[in-house]
Amino acid sequence: MVRLERVNKIFHTRHFLLADEDTGRRTLYRKKTVHAVNDVDFAVKRGEIFGLLGPNGAGKTTAVKMISGLVRPNSGAVYVDDLHVERKRLKVLRKVGVVLEGTRTSIWPLTPLENLAYFGNLKDVKGPVLKQRSRELLNFIGLKDKMNVQVRRLSRGQKQKLAICIALIADPPVILLDEPTTGLDVQSSRAIKDKIIEITREHGKTALVTTHDMNVAQELCDRIGIINHGKLIACQPTDELLGLFAEKTFEFHLNRAPDLSLLRQIPGVEAAQLLDGEEEIVLAVTVARDEEDRSAALYGAIQCLHAQRILLRSITQRRQTLENVFLRLTGDTEPK
Amino acid sequence: MGFFLVMKAEVVRSLIIMRRYWFATLTGIIMGYGFLLALVLGFFGGYVPIDKVMSVVENILGFIIGMFAFGIIGLFTSGLQGMARTGQLEQVCMSPHGLVTNFLARSFVSAVTSILSLSIVFTLVALHVGGEFHAPVLPTITLLALTYVNLIGFGFMTGGLVLIFKQTGQIATLLRLGLLLWAVFATEEIRKLPRAAQWVAHALPVTDAAICLKYVMIQGQRAMVENAAGELVPEGPYLSVFSPSYPSFYALILSSVVWTLIGISCFRYMENVSRNKGTLGAY
Repeated sequence: MVRLERVNKIFHTRHFLLADEDTGRRTLYRKKTVHAVNDVDFAVKRGEIFGLLGPNGAGKTTAVKMISGLVRPNSGAVYVDDLHVERKRLKVLRKVGVVLEGTRTSIWPLTPLENLAYFGNLKDVKGPVLKQRSRELLNFIGLKDKMNVQVRRLSRGQKQKLAICIALIADPPVILLDEPTTGLDVQSSRAIKDKIIEITREHGKTALVTTHDMNVAQELCDRIGIINHGKLIACQPTDELLGLFAEKTFEFHLNRAPDLSLLRQIPGVEAAQLLDGEEEIVLAVTVARDEEDRSAALYGAIQCLHAQRILLRSITQRRQTLENVFLRLTGDTEPK
Repeated sequence: MGFFLVMKAEVVRSLIIMRRYWFATLTGIIMGYGFLLALVLGFFGGYVPIDKVMSVVENILGFIIGMFAFGIIGLFTSGLQGMARTGQLEQVCMSPHGLVTNFLARSFVSAVTSILSLSIVFTLVALHVGGEFHAPVLPTITLLALTYVNLIGFGFMTGGLVLIFKQTGQIATLLRLGLLLWAVFATEEIRKLPRAAQWVAHALPVTDAAICLKYVMIQGQRAMVENAAGELVPEGPYLSVFSPSYPSFYALILSSVVWTLIGISCFRYMENVSRNKGTLGAY
C-alpha cells in the first residue's frame, strides 16, 4: 500500500555568523548538510499499523512528508497504492490522509463540523456525502457533543481527534499520523490509540504512525521500523523486535545480599548482580537461553540461596521492553 | 471544478467568520472610514475646498485601490506566512486541487469581500467630503476583475518567494506599502515621464488599474481639459475606457496577462524548489 524504495533526502542549510561548537569562533558563512533520510526501504501492507520509531531528528517526519508529497526525495521512489508520489502527486493526495504534528491544523474560529465541511471541500468531498461523513466521523471519534463548539474552546486531545477526522474526511485508504499522542494526557492518548486501532481493524485502513513514545509503538503497531540518523536500522513485526535482545533475566527479591561469586559458578548462570532496592535486596540473575540449561541454572541459584540461609521473598522474570530494544539498536545504553 | 469547490469552501468560511465576528467586521469598516476621513480632513484643516474636492476624491479612490492591492498581495505574503506558522498551509498543500488553485480561489473570495467593504468606505468618505463619482456597471466590474487578475500575478510571484524564504514576507510588506502609495498618485500624467520611466511605471501591477478606475469613476470617462482657472477638469469629449483610443485599458490587459503568466510560473517553480528544500508548508 505504501512503499519506499531506497529513498534519500539531503537537506542543505546555510548559516551566517555561526559559532563553531568547539572553538566558539564565528564564520561568516557556512553550509551544513544533513542526510535526513538515508537509503530507506520499507513497505506498509494494507490494513497494517506500521510504526516508525526514532529519536528526535531521526527522519521520521521527513519520511511522512515524502509520502504525502510535501517533501521531494533526492533519489529513490515513494509509492502509495502503486502510484508514484512524484509523478501522480495530486492523485496520491486523494488516497492519503495526514495528521501532522501540532494542533493548529484546524481553523480555530470554526466549529468541528464547519472545519470538516471546509476541509472536505478542499479534498473534493461534497454535498450530502460530506454532511453524512462529517457527522459519522465526529460520532466515531467522540466529538458528537462538541460538533458545534468553536475549535479554540476544545482541549488539546479533542483538537487532535478533530485533526484525525480531517485526515479521514475524504475516506482515504492510507492514514499517516505524525506523533499523534505527543503532549496528550493518559486518557486522551489512550482514546487516540484505540481509535487508530479501530480505524485499521474495523474500517480496513492502512496506518503509518511515527512516534518516539515506545509505549505507543508497542501497544499500537503490528510492525515497527526503527530509524536513527536517517537510516532504517530495524524493520520487523513488533513481537519479533521485542525478542531481538531477549535476555532471560530473573529478579530474586531477598532479605540480605548473597555471595555473588558462588552464584556465578553455577552452570547456566551467565551473570549475577545486585540492584538497588528500596527496602529489600534485588538480585538479577541472567541465565542461558537454552531451556534445559536455564532450568538447571534456576534450580542451582535457588539451592545456593537456600544454602546461604537467605530468605527468598519472590522471583520475577524481567520483561523485554521496546525501549530496551530501541536503546540497544540506536547505540545508547540500556537502562536498568 | 476544483476552483469552484475551494471557492465554495472559502465563501462559507469567510461568511461564517464575518457573521461570528460581525462586530470586528463592522468596526473594521468604521475604522477604515474614520481613518481615511481623519486623514483627508486633517490635511485640509477640517474642510475640503470645493475646487479641490475632485482631486481629493480621486486620491481617496487611489488610496482604496492601494488598500485593495495591499490586501490581495498580503494574502500571498503575510497570509501565506501566517498559514505556514499555524500549520494550516500544510493542510492546504495536501489538497488534491493543488496549491495554485487553492490560492486562486482563496484570493478571489478575499477580493470580493474586500471590494464590498472598501466600496462602503469609499462611498461614505467620498460623500462626506462632498464629492461624487460614477460607477457604470460593466466598465467598473471589468476593471475590478482585471485589477484583481493584475494583482494576483504579482501576488503569486511574491508568494512563491515566501514559500522558500518565509522572511521575505516582511520585505513584501514594504513593497505593498510602496504600491499603496503609488496607487494614490498613479495618473495619466505618467505619459509625460521619460520613456524608460513610463515602462517602469506600466510594469508595476497597480498602475494601469488605478489610472483606468480613476478615469471611469472620477472623470466619468471624459478627457481632462484645462478650464479658465488653469485647473484640469473632466470636461473633454466622452471616450469609453474600452475604446482603442484609450490605451491604459489595453495596457492593463497586457499587464494582467503578463503578470499572471509570470506569477503562476514563478509560484509553481518556487513550490517545487520549496518541496526540494523541505520548506513547503512549514515556517
